Amino acid sequence: MARTSLFRHYLFALSLWVFACITALKFGVATQLDPELVMQLRLPRVILATAVGMGLAVAGTTLQALFTNPLCEPYTLGISTGSALGSVLGISLGLQVNFAGLAGSSFFGALFFTGLLYLISLRPGTNNLTLLLAGVMLGFLGSSLVALWMAVTDANGIQGAILWLMGDLSRARIYGATFTLTVMLFLAYVVWTHSRELDALLMGEEGALVLGIPVAQTRRRLILMTSIIIGLCVSGGGMIGFVGLIIPHFVRRLIGSLHINTLPLCAIWGSTSLVLADTAARTLVRPYELPVGVVTALVGAPLFLWMMLKRQGDA
Amino acid sequence: MADAAPLVSIFGVCFSYGKNSVLREVSFELDRGKITALLGPNGSGKSTLLKIISGILPLQSPDSGQIRFSGTDFLSLSAPARARQIAYVPADLLAEFPLTAFEAVMMGQICHHPNLFNSSSQAERDQAHWAMEECLCWHLRERDLHSLSGGERQLVTLARALVQGAKVFLLDETLSKMDLNHQAAAGKLLRKWVSRGYSIVLVSHDLNLATEWADECVLLKQGEKIAWGPTREIITTERIRALYPGPELIVAPHPSTGMPKVFFGKMGS
Repeated sequence: MARTSLFRHYLFALSLWVFACITALKFGVATQLDPELVMQLRLPRVILATAVGMGLAVAGTTLQALFTNPLCEPYTLGISTGSALGSVLGISLGLQVNFAGLAGSSFFGALFFTGLLYLISLRPGTNNLTLLLAGVMLGFLGSSLVALWMAVTDANGIQGAILWLMGDLSRARIYGATFTLTVMLFLAYVVWTHSRELDALLMGEEGALVLGIPVAQTRRRLILMTSIIIGLCVSGGGMIGFVGLIIPHFVRRLIGSLHINTLPLCAIWGSTSLVLADTAARTLVRPYELPVGVVTALVGAPLFLWMMLKRQGDA
Repeated sequence: MADAAPLVSIFGVCFSYGKNSVLREVSFELDRGKITALLGPNGSGKSTLLKIISGILPLQSPDSGQIRFSGTDFLSLSAPARARQIAYVPADLLAEFPLTAFEAVMMGQICHHPNLFNSSSQAERDQAHWAMEECLCWHLRERDLHSLSGGERQLVTLARALVQGAKVFLLDETLSKMDLNHQAAAGKLLRKWVSRGYSIVLVSHDLNLATEWADECVLLKQGEKIAWGPTREIITTERIRALYPGPELIVAPHPSTGMPKVFFGKMGS
């Protein structure tokens, strides 16, 4: 990919993100709102959507390379659910209710589920589709456990929790959102420094070994980082599906699969898409609000289906 | 070659999948400037052996064999260091993700610059360019891996191994999908590389291809080495029949090169 055309891709994606942010800040139910109120309500949401969208796209790209499967992403693999389970458990056990505590228990949930999937992927005879199905089942199991836990503990504000489980950015506050964005940028950078290992992993486990990558060690490190990212995404915005699937797929089509270029562009497109999706969630059925996860699933699930069937057709 | 010591020594390699013993006490040596063919029926442990030599497949215990490279314990080296010395060349490349042939060849550099920040781009590109020219696949550079034919992908795989900078190539059915033109060209290439002091191991089910190019042959049957030596001496009717007892095979010299060739005797009855 030539430098100039790469530059054009970045420039376009960044301008689109700026456009999405301006739209998100300007566009809403009441147009004559107090500008200060807009800043208080909408700005944190835009920042959080940027952070979570970036995290989901980066996590999706990384998971796809980790499992050598272009259909992987945090939500369809059930890792987001694991993360949600972690945070629900964390809250119910009264461990912590502050932001960092929530992110921490989300991280452990995500790590546990990713670890399970990793072990499943190591079993001989596990192919791409079995792994995917295992992830979907883990997701079912996780959401049932979340429902069970909420019923048993009679959690306060169960309505809010359900909204959050479907993906919801409306609880964003300026400090939390800024913190999430800062940490997310750092984590995305750390994953980006592993670009070459990720490239090699695209050739499969054996293919990466052939190229001189210590696969087990690299995978463990990447799983840890992906889990932190997903934990942060879920504690910030609940379970938002398909951003991590569609964006990497689309970006790879645009500029190829070398992660040194793909990861940053995925990050920008992920942010843009979630800012737009959140604006749609806020305004589509006014005066009500949709959970943003509903919007991403409405767009993403059919695309996922199409991708899966197309892959089968190619094979 | 002035250097008499073997480049790679394989000592007493044993391996088993569960209770199935795949390799039993296999030992031989690879010299500089030689092509060695590893021959045997399906399931005789050829691929497993290549993967063990290259370090992709770890030995099950420290006493189940040893690989020495220029006198040092090869398997104790780090993964990138191993990839720089011995390149395992697979039969195909996975093409699940959009990657061009050039990008795939560039990946051979990863063992030299695993870190994102100390890679020197232009030198790497030149190296990949040279390797692809050498392996007759430079014209495919912009093509996506999955749009290439099996044989074309194998040329790309060879170019990638060259970029790794290894001096030993372990070819695991790497020529199997090439047409006759490409096979002949690849054969010339292998000859050129061994004349530069490389050492090449060839696993192929095409016995006549292997005997045409190989200086030495190692015959494997059910995980045991049954013979090792110069091709002309090793490939005999008795040995080949012992290796493949089903069909009635005959070994006869090639009319012009004199290399031993394997033919079907009577088919059927």
